[in-house]
Amino acid sequence: MTTRMFGAPVQRREDARLLTGGGRYLDDLGHDALAAAFVRSPHAHARVLDVDVTDALDVEGLVAVYTWEDLPERVRDPLPLLIPHPSLVAPRTGYALARGEVNHVGEPVVMVVATDRYVAEDVAERIAVTYEVLPPVVGVAAAREAVHLVHEEAAGNVGAHLVQGYGDAGAAIDAAPHVLELDLDVERSACVPLEGKGVYAVWDTDEQSLRLWSSTQTTTGVRAAVAAKLGLPLAKVECTAPDVGGGFGVKIMHPWPEEVLVPWAARLLERPVKWTEDRREHFVSSAHERQQLQHVRVGFDDEGRVLGLDVRLWHDHGAYIPYGVIVPINSSTQLLGPYKPGAYRVEFWSLYTNTVIVTPYRGAGRPQGVFAMERTMDAIADHLGLDRADVRAANFIQPEEMPYDFGLTFQDGRPLVYDSGDFPASLRKLKDLVGWDGFEEQRARARAEGRRVGIALACYVEGTGPGPYEGGHVHVETSGRVNVSTGLTSQGQGHQTILAQIVADELGVPFEDVHVTTGDTRRFGYSVGTFASRGAVMSGSAVALAARRVRAKALRIAGDALEADPGDLEVVDGVVRVKGNPGASMPLGTVAVLSNPLRYAFDDTARAATQFAAGGRGPDEPPVAPGEEPGLEGRDYHSPLRSTFANGMHAAVVETDPETAEIRVLRYCVVHDCGTMVNPMIVEGQILGGVAQGVGGALYERMHYDESGQLLNASFMDFLMPYATEVPPVETDHLETPSPLNPLGIKGAGEAGVIPAAALFASAIEDAEGFRISRMPISPSELFHLRERFAAGEVPALRRGGPAGAAPATPATPATPAPSDEGA
Amino acid sequence: MKVTGTAVLHAPVERVWSALNDPAVLVRTIPGCERLEEVGPDRYRMTVTAGVASIKGSYVGEVALTEQQRPGSFVLRASGSGAPGTVSADVLVRLEEAPEGTHLAYDADAVVGGPVGGVGQRVLTGVARKTAGEFFRAVDDVLAGGAQEGAAEPAAAVPAARPAPEDGPLPAPPAAPGPAVHVPPPPPPAAAGGQQPFVLGALVGAGAALLGALVGGLVARRR
Repeated sequence: MTTRMFGAPVQRREDARLLTGGGRYLDDLGHDALAAAFVRSPHAHARVLDVDVTDALDVEGLVAVYTWEDLPERVRDPLPLLIPHPSLVAPRTGYALARGEVNHVGEPVVMVVATDRYVAEDVAERIAVTYEVLPPVVGVAAAREAVHLVHEEAAGNVGAHLVQGYGDAGAAIDAAPHVLELDLDVERSACVPLEGKGVYAVWDTDEQSLRLWSSTQTTTGVRAAVAAKLGLPLAKVECTAPDVGGGFGVKIMHPWPEEVLVPWAARLLERPVKWTEDRREHFVSSAHERQQLQHVRVGFDDEGRVLGLDVRLWHDHGAYIPYGVIVPINSSTQLLGPYKPGAYRVEFWSLYTNTVIVTPYRGAGRPQGVFAMERTMDAIADHLGLDRADVRAANFIQPEEMPYDFGLTFQDGRPLVYDSGDFPASLRKLKDLVGWDGFEEQRARARAEGRRVGIALACYVEGTGPGPYEGGHVHVETSGRVNVSTGLTSQGQGHQTILAQIVADELGVPFEDVHVTTGDTRRFGYSVGTFASRGAVMSGSAVALAARRVRAKALRIAGDALEADPGDLEVVDGVVRVKGNPGASMPLGTVAVLSNPLRYAFDDTARAATQFAAGGRGPDEPPVAPGEEPGLEGRDYHSPLRSTFANGMHAAVVETDPETAEIRVLRYCVVHDCGTMVNPMIVEGQILGGVAQGVGGALYERMHYDESGQLLNASFMDFLMPYATEVPPVETDHLETPSPLNPLGIKGAGEAGVIPAAALFASAIEDAEGFRISRMPISPSELFHLRERFAAGEVPALRRGGPAGAAPATPATPATPAPSDEGA
Repeated sequence: MKVTGTAVLHAPVERVWSALNDPAVLVRTIPGCERLEEVGPDRYRMTVTAGVASIKGSYVGEVALTEQQRPGSFVLRASGSGAPGTVSADVLVRLEEAPEGTHLAYDADAVVGGPVGGVGQRVLTGVARKTAGEFFRAVDDVLAGGAQEGAAEPAAAVPAARPAPEDGPLPAPPAAPGPAVHVPPPPPPAAAGGQQPFVLGALVGAGAALLGALVGGLVARRR
């Protein structure tokens, strides 16, 4: 019997190539192509008065310069509103090139095409754009105040507004024994993939067809959008994602201005054109995420059970809202986590600002939602003097309550129903892993040494694998080679490995014989894309179903040939054989030969399928049986009822330096449940990568805009990404509660690691310091200033106290209403 | 595409008119013009070689001077085609006496087709306008030098706008082969292998001074 591949920690087959420089990224293509560069707005908000190219004309190698006025119908129209939603009240999208006004620094105004990128940059530098600067709206607080407007038609800078909930949260809170209010604040961060975006387009004048490569998370989406913009038949446009050096969400947004303009120019000029984003461009013209202001009002009982929860979110979506409200919907629904408040009301305002647009970044609104909920859980525990883990446990949805229907609508437009999970079991595992119950002794020892340590845990539930569908195609060649294709793209997740594992098992063939193609519209034209931790769930299920079709067909054909009932056959190691009679068998490759009757014998295997070969179908039967198709292949789709919900719990132990306020992570523990694991090693890798981004997002990374909307840290000199030295070793444990929503029982794992990190570190640092932390990320200097404010009585102390010597000079009378205890 | 502009030429209106209607002058002052052949009264056939990185080639076109109101105005109709595309243009030129000599205003309406039309409006108009300026400077230089029979003039009469060759003896400019065919003096070395941004202008430019200047200007960027 072949070793079962599903569930085995198989090494990633991509890695040998990627780790030895064999990757082929967008910029590795099209060396002879013309290069595009862009003149981008230096202002956050301005009218474009004039574009003067006079000084640029003498640059040798200049080919073309385009502004909005040059663009034809459709290309000059606003970029699409990708995800319409009823909550959008004033949806605005940008133009491929600015039309008379710019709304953030980095917005493209002029496109230059030249013989190479150096020349294109030289030309861009010599183009003079005259602006009339307008007052910018920077930051979500300014947007909420609405002294100035980003778009005149968006009153109060509101782009979308939504209220959801169940029960009467206001009444439940008012009637609760205890009430707390919290004001919370999460700053901007971004995906920052090491490879930025990039587009390469080749127009074939004779064929009137377009070949397009993009560093994207959805080739089918880009293909359709470009065909629509350029007015081309879909059949004349093909899009491929080469190796993609990280996506993390930013590359699911499409079409980017460059994805429309580069193909348009390639067609117009009848020359290949390429654009590769540089690092500054990525910072100022791609997309960010995370920034929200939050207000929580919660009513709870003596055990810490939440009776009513009222949350208001002010979400910053930047200058335009092409990706709709996915992020704030995720925040507003997924903040519930593993808990079941008695009544819930959430209201969000999605606000325009004169900063880069916001689209999902790994976690996609969940880190902020989890921040709101977990900060609330911690505040409840501190208020009641209860253990933070116990308060959480008191609020858990129980395993026997699954599936759990909140009566809310999730971001995929489907009901928010948790399919499975065992939160009490996960919590037990996590407490064991981190040594939760024994920590006070550790803390006492550390204190005795003059050290400050803190511990925390944070929980989340993550909707993964949303529909509408993905498809798979499995094809067995006469050699026995198995080709698998699926439409969604890969950005390093290991799809080539896990999809091959799934198909190898379903089909009964060696793993080595299975070859996977993703993200190429020439191979599979129907797909949605890679986002929301859906690759394994959606395409994994689809290729499994497709492989089952192939297997069934193989058994039918082999059954005829071997004169056996297909039900008595099995496929082992690529050989179809009669169960219990290994002598009666044929390789799957031979079945492929039989599946495709031939006239011409171009090689030995083909000869076996020609009309005079023995073993063919009888003279009274058509060579291809009715209802069959030639070839041993199959195609199928997975379209789930709704998202499947993975979950996890993280714990961390941190130490803060009493002098410098430096924050060190001593331990980081993860218990994760993504249903059945296809490959535990890859799941682990996904979690580690997510934790790295979570650490970055909590302690280092932020988008530092000044009041005029200039991004001050738009480079790797100033934007602090964690190195391996800043990412702690991660201890993991897994729970597997299979999902009932797909044939493999799997749930997504791609975003898990990043989601609870900000909440977790806020809680751990708070635990070490003894005062409230309500704003993330936090740097050592911010912690230092918080200590000073705490000492001055401006920051409330925890009721449970803190390290000796860290108490405020005067008893804490909170300067802000948060948290206050209205009901006590 | 509409391009308008003005120029000041340091000669009386009558002389300017003559220069702008003299193929021997035009062939030397229109950037990229290789050959200008009279095919009828006030009608010329021209050959221009020019090109940018992506748009290189030889262009053939025809230019006609019409609606002549000597010395006040004329209309130039030009059309041409080459590998990179096609150009047609109507240019209204008006001359007026001015203290410095002649004030010239041009008003061009051009239709550009094919790949060359894809370089962007600002590039087309920018190059046309800039080249027109250069063209008129070249014409002005000719006028200042008193050179009306350019093709037969010694090398010294080459417009100052074009640098003289730095080394090697300049071959004697060929005498005009016939009354109806004009070729320019040999181009300076910089032009020989130089990338020339846009053909277009040359094309049209070859046809007539102004048009040539305008669109032709596109051709002759030789830095």
